[in-house]
Amino acid sequence: MPENDGLMRIFWPADLPRSDLRGVVVGWRNSALDVFVLAILEEVEPRNVDSALKLGTLTRNAPHPVSRIYELCGQSSLHILGLSNTSDDVQIDPSWIRATTGPSIRVPIITCARASNIQIILFERPLPGRMQYISLSPIALALGDKHETFRIGLSDGADEADEREERLKKVKKKKLVEKLKQHSVFKRTPSAKERALPKIVNQINWAWELEKLMQKNVSRIGTRPKRSLSVSERVVESATTMRDIVLVWLWNLVTVYVLPVIKRLFVMGLMAHRIAAEVLLTVLEWRARPKYAALKDISATAQQVEIRLQQFCYWPMQYVTLRLRKNDWESVTTSHPDYIRFYNSLWLVANDVIIGIALGSYIIDNSSWLAGEISHLLTQYTVEALQSSISWLMGWPAGLKLNSELALFLGDLFLWVIEYWSSCIETLRPVLPHMIWFIGFSSFAGASMPIALFSDLTSILTIHIYSFYLASARIYHWQLNILISLFHLFRGKKHNVLRNRIDSCDYDLDQLLVGTILFTLLFFLLPTVVVFYLNFAIARMVIISLKAVFDTMLSFLNHFPLFALMLRIKDPGRLPGGIRFELRDTQDFRHALNDTTKPIPSTSVIHLKSIPLSFKAMFHQYFQMGHRIRKHYLSPRVLLCLLTGKFVPPLDRRNLYSLQYSMLPARRAGIMEMWNAVSSLPSPKRRTAPVYIPALANGRRYPSNYGGGRSRSYG
Amino acid sequence: MLTTAPHLYLRRPSPTTAEFTVTTCPPLTIPLRICLLTISLLRAAIFAAAITTIYSRFFHEPSHPSPITSVPVADLLYQGDLLLLASHLLQALHSSPPGQFLASITQPLSNSGLAVIASVITYFSLFTQLHTTESLLVLRGLGIQTSTSSSSFSSPIPNTSDGSNRWRGWKWWFWGTTPTKTRFIPTEKIRDVLINEAFRGFEVRYYLIVIVEGEEDIVVVFPRLLPGRKIVEEVWRGVRGCLYEGDPNHQSLGGSWGQTGTIGRKDN
Repeated sequence: MPENDGLMRIFWPADLPRSDLRGVVVGWRNSALDVFVLAILEEVEPRNVDSALKLGTLTRNAPHPVSRIYELCGQSSLHILGLSNTSDDVQIDPSWIRATTGPSIRVPIITCARASNIQIILFERPLPGRMQYISLSPIALALGDKHETFRIGLSDGADEADEREERLKKVKKKKLVEKLKQHSVFKRTPSAKERALPKIVNQINWAWELEKLMQKNVSRIGTRPKRSLSVSERVVESATTMRDIVLVWLWNLVTVYVLPVIKRLFVMGLMAHRIAAEVLLTVLEWRARPKYAALKDISATAQQVEIRLQQFCYWPMQYVTLRLRKNDWESVTTSHPDYIRFYNSLWLVANDVIIGIALGSYIIDNSSWLAGEISHLLTQYTVEALQSSISWLMGWPAGLKLNSELALFLGDLFLWVIEYWSSCIETLRPVLPHMIWFIGFSSFAGASMPIALFSDLTSILTIHIYSFYLASARIYHWQLNILISLFHLFRGKKHNVLRNRIDSCDYDLDQLLVGTILFTLLFFLLPTVVVFYLNFAIARMVIISLKAVFDTMLSFLNHFPLFALMLRIKDPGRLPGGIRFELRDTQDFRHALNDTTKPIPSTSVIHLKSIPLSFKAMFHQYFQMGHRIRKHYLSPRVLLCLLTGKFVPPLDRRNLYSLQYSMLPARRAGIMEMWNAVSSLPSPKRRTAPVYIPALANGRRYPSNYGGGRSRSYG
Repeated sequence: MLTTAPHLYLRRPSPTTAEFTVTTCPPLTIPLRICLLTISLLRAAIFAAAITTIYSRFFHEPSHPSPITSVPVADLLYQGDLLLLASHLLQALHSSPPGQFLASITQPLSNSGLAVIASVITYFSLFTQLHTTESLLVLRGLGIQTSTSSSSFSSPIPNTSDGSNRWRGWKWWFWGTTPTKTRFIPTEKIRDVLINEAFRGFEVRYYLIVIVEGEEDIVVVFPRLLPGRKIVEEVWRGVRGCLYEGDPNHQSLGGSWGQTGTIGRKDN
């Protein structure tokens, strides 16, 4: 045997009932010396268990197809692994194990003829009914990785430099690691035991359900004397059968005639909504040209509406997936992340609506007061503060002697525009209470709507500041550029555009003279332009940070992992973040066996535990978003842009919102797809009259069973 | 006296399973235990003093009569009103002579200064860590697991008078023990285990790394302590002998550990 180093690996459920009765250990045999214990069947003969395993008696009455178990656990059949609590003189197969357990023995004592040393790996079985499971990799709370598609779409100048730099760094690191890898001289081929780990994880997830199933069927093993029912038992049986038949008849009446009608009506309503949503989504996503921005890229409100509609389109699909889960074994863990995502988004929307109702009723009740406050704020900060600061700049601010004529000209220009803008706001003022009322009303669709609307309102009502910023930045930027090229002229050089370098150049005297005069002139005018530019740039930055606050609030309302957090506190087993092993002491283990003199092979006791998902991993996407925002706005590049008067591009909404879209599929399911999915839902099962199955306990309490379990045939 | 240079403990209940623990905690002798206990009491006292100072400056209402005599503590505990209990305790602390003394010496400090100083002291009294313990668990057929933990009071060190290793289960009970961070790497994914060298400051450090298949980062074993070359070499030999089946001599000849390339240490 290639892997015969005498190491035996035994996976043993730590919460398996401990008793000192004789028993047969049943489980999976992954390879010769790698076994996985599922159950101990007590007081049965190994011979009978063997035949029962071959006939499949132990998995009878399974609620779902049995082949699924074998498929997912990676084995073709269950095996007898050994005997528990047998005396030493019983002859057993050399590959079988002898286990000694008992109520006082915490860790089973195991010997095997073939093994020279043993690893006992104890694990707590996750309960599939509570949707607990373990996995090797952390559970994914966000839908698969499709950020790449987002990235490709938006690689426009601004972020490109950063991305390239990051990619270069990655490549460099990869090279270093590759170099390290070359140091290993030869590559090992992993043995069967080492490759079995993913399979074993599945087997651990199945352990609970399979053990229950087998213990239920233990009573069918072996032949039992038949016994007919007594008279009183017959009376009880026929009475319960009568009751069950009536109940089943009533149930069938409801499911056959009432439920389908209700269901059909509901599906019709759903499809009508879906079609309306499709139309709206098409409007929101319409782009005049592929490169142009769609409505949802410009406005926060449109984006919010789009997210809600997308969620609405996705929910039925998610629900169908979750419904299909019921038709399978509980131990199939593939849909558990879907479950968490579905309820997280439902819960967030419900929360959003609840907060929205509170907020909305407050806004509606106080709409006139709010409108007054807002118009007051508008006049105070976007008109009067700007006016006063411009007047301050016109009159030698902070003792700086600016060029009065230029300052007067620029200030008059801006003041004139502000004057015009304030008259616009005056005409808007009577409409403002109605707008506020509308915003309050919209918040019944969720608190995120008024926030998005306020965000849009801010951008619309401060559009003059934006244009001032653009204009002054442009002027400043031009002046700076002219200054630089004139400085080259002053030094007798010039910028060669063809080769992108500075060349020497012989200027004429008059050229030099005019250039120098212009240079001096522009240089002395520069401070005046700078102060105006700085004024508007600061105002612009304040508005950007205000909008960032709104966006943060929106992202919390739309994507906070509320359900996952609750699960993490309530039942960490449902959010697996990997596994870990703990080496236990073998001292007490040896003491327990001090009465015997036989040598036990050197044994290490290891506990396998599931690590709950870390909080950091839960908020991973927030960290990612924070990182992206920080890199975009707090980088030296932005500072350079501010200093040279180049336009600071706002962070692309698509980039910012990749967080929010991470819980939605990249491509939404079409109308027909949804129709097919919804109508493919299995109808509730038509119940047949239940067969009376006597409740049989494990074989030891009722050595001779009543009811004659083998004479009946069960579906 | 409280900490030592990193040193190695080995647990190997069977030839196929080994745990290498590197720690800065010296063996727990009686004087050391007493010393650690004193430190923990001192920390508790400092914590209480800081909290009491904050309370008596910002939350204490002089007009409020002291209700500690009227409501027994047991009743409050029974009712589960922990907030009220805490306020009563703080009240009692404030009115006690040490509390009054504290209030009198912190009198000259301004409100904001006091708040900053007291919260810094609270933070350090809670979260300062004395010992760092890092371990590497090697399971043949399963894989390698690295773990890191810091503890401030009790030590997770086995009592090694006779090499018997008794880990106290109650060690996580104490304050200030950061939960262990573990990382498990299945054998299937382990490409190799190597000793690498890197420049750090003005010295050359040797450190153990695990190269993981399909990952862009390497995993540094004992990343915080970075023990010296002797320990690293011993651990490396142990890992090679324990992890793989077959002739251990052949294995150790196969991968020689002297590395020529130098790379900057990955910060992780």
